[in-house]
Amino acid sequence: MASAAQIRLQVESTLANRVPAALTLKIKEAAEVLPTGIAAIDAALSGGIPRGCITEISGAASTGKTSFALAAVAAITQSGAACAWVDVSDSLSPESAAAAGIVLKRLLWLRTVPERKQRVTSKPWSHLEQALKATDLLLQAGGFAAIVLDMSDVFPKHVTRIPLATWYRLRLAAEQARTALIFLTQSPCVGSCAALSLRAEQSSVMPFSVDKETALFEGQQYDLVRERNRNEVSAVFKKPAARVELNTETLWTRAR
Amino acid sequence: MYAVLYPPNFSAQAAVRERPELRKKPFALLDGEPPTDTVHAANKAARSIGVEVGMTRLQAETFPEVACLRRVIAHESSAHTALHTVACMFSPRIEQVDAHPGTYALDIGGMDTLFGDSLQLANKLRQSIMAAGFIANVAVAQNLYAAACLAYGRAGVSVVPPGYEANAIGQLPLRVLDLSPDHEATLHAWGIRTCSELAALSEDELIARLGQSAKRLHALARGNWTHLMVPLEPSFEAGLVERMDLDFPVEVIEPLLFLLARMTDSLLERVKNTARAIASLRLVLNLDGGRRHERIVRPALPLQDTQTLLKLLQLDLEAHPPSGAVLGLELSAQSAAPHRAQHGLFLPQAPEAGRLEVLLARLRKLLGEQRVGSPELTDDHRPNAFRVVPFAPPPPAQGMARTLSVPTALRVCRPPQIIGVSLDRNTPASIFWEGIKYVVREVAGPWRVSGQWWSEANWCREEWDVRLLKADETERVCRIAFDPRSRSWYLQGTYD
Repeated sequence: MASAAQIRLQVESTLANRVPAALTLKIKEAAEVLPTGIAAIDAALSGGIPRGCITEISGAASTGKTSFALAAVAAITQSGAACAWVDVSDSLSPESAAAAGIVLKRLLWLRTVPERKQRVTSKPWSHLEQALKATDLLLQAGGFAAIVLDMSDVFPKHVTRIPLATWYRLRLAAEQARTALIFLTQSPCVGSCAALSLRAEQSSVMPFSVDKETALFEGQQYDLVRERNRNEVSAVFKKPAARVELNTETLWTRAR
Repeated sequence: MYAVLYPPNFSAQAAVRERPELRKKPFALLDGEPPTDTVHAANKAARSIGVEVGMTRLQAETFPEVACLRRVIAHESSAHTALHTVACMFSPRIEQVDAHPGTYALDIGGMDTLFGDSLQLANKLRQSIMAAGFIANVAVAQNLYAAACLAYGRAGVSVVPPGYEANAIGQLPLRVLDLSPDHEATLHAWGIRTCSELAALSEDELIARLGQSAKRLHALARGNWTHLMVPLEPSFEAGLVERMDLDFPVEVIEPLLFLLARMTDSLLERVKNTARAIASLRLVLNLDGGRRHERIVRPALPLQDTQTLLKLLQLDLEAHPPSGAVLGLELSAQSAAPHRAQHGLFLPQAPEAGRLEVLLARLRKLLGEQRVGSPELTDDHRPNAFRVVPFAPPPPAQGMARTLSVPTALRVCRPPQIIGVSLDRNTPASIFWEGIKYVVREVAGPWRVSGQWWSEANWCREEWDVRLLKADETERVCRIAFDPRSRSWYLQGTYD
């Protein structure tokens, strides 16, 4: 009687032309990561933002999404690679980008065309279409280590209407281009296409004035909650959500 | 053998060629900024009555019969072109002599089968020049400088057999050697008047007294100073032009692309033969009604790829379509050394130059010219002042990330949005924005900023940092500003 190993070998050799190694477990390679330059977050994310995947960062306004994305892009541009920022609402502040340490010459900034007398939040379809098309073009061209798709100011009801097929296509393109696609949104909508999903929240409030001193906005404390990291999900155990604190400070506080 | 043609008093001849009525009357050409303009040239009739080169306008105008005219550079350029054309008819190797305008040196070696011997060639050359409207001296000699000296010093046609250059130029005055004023004065003081007298001096003694430049002078006077001819070549860049006239007007771009592909291919083939690449393409479309549509495509790096160049042309034409039907095309190229990059195995990935150009052109077409690029901070006190520059990332390099604290990012509202603010003791207490009321929980400010008070574009505002609380207990930290000129409140941005 043939042993199990012999039977498996026989089945695999028979199916070799159609399914290579049909009965052998596929060894998953560790995803390449781009460090964000923030030690605590890198530790929580197993090294940083994964390459060739979609990273979704969701959260309401003033929850630190942009600060974190700028810090990540800064670390990548400082390492010598080029990045792109697709700005749907034309709200990126070059001053903040420079303060975060981004090498501005390595940053391609794309701003969608504003429609006269129309706010982004009122009728964003052309903006979203332009942004998705521009992101697609960037991914097809390749060569960018990271692309930030910034839809932070677009209402969730509009973002969620982007078809899931679009995200599948972008995920595939990002995988082929070995580009980290960072998506900033108010509410999660990428679903299973995102390899890494982070939720940004406000942490404890830093009061403007302490001990009746002159009031001054000195910084914010945020929490980043890792909700999903497909690259480290075990087949047996699912890791619990991890929470990391992100402290930011204003430029004038840093100068002081 | 070399033939040198020298039109004496070139500027005056050029003026007469354009204005034949001046031929029989004395005139002087003035050059320089009035009122300090001086006589640049004068014809023989004017010189015979006392007009000299270098006279001031006032001095020249003291001769009532002399017409004082402005020197016209365009007339001289036209005369140059005519002489150049005549010279090109007699030899493929010609050189322009810079010291005397309008003077050309021709290498006539091997031309005897076409034009006869040297004398016949010189006569034919002089006749052709006269037919073009010039009077020129023509000299032929084995040595180029000897021929030039003969042309400067002897009128008409002079032909010197090989080996007799020194004898031929011996009796010419020293001015044909183009002496410097110092040397001219020194030699005049020594009593040296002709080339043969200079050639008779000892070379060593002459160098000891006049310096190293005397070696050249001595050799010139003996007619054996050698010359390396650098013939004028037709400009390679000027030849990179392709033209095509269409049989019928074309209104859509796609058919033009087939023609442009062929023209680009042809240009690139010529450019590649000289190991160069195309740095820019200039497309001129002749439109119906005599109008012209001109576009210039200039990739960031010189390219050798037809497909990329064609795609750039296509995207540019689609973004800026012609305003009418196309009757003819002209595509000209500018070449440059091709881009070379040293890649490394361990360097970070970077966009490929050719693909990046096409990508940027596509994005510009999609989003607009000013919406694609890299931000660059400007040297301005105005908060968030920036300009967008073309995206041209430096070559990838291994860098080390700096460890800085994370700054609080500001998401800017462009343009700033008008909000309603209710004040309590001159401090914002609540804000109305997009129909929603926010209660101000904390406030810091005001921070007064202003600038450019000296111009119309002056600006001034009071900025506040506010922590807002919405009805559903969500917080947001914003920067608001009060503009005292319009008495309005604006939302500058949100900290995120």
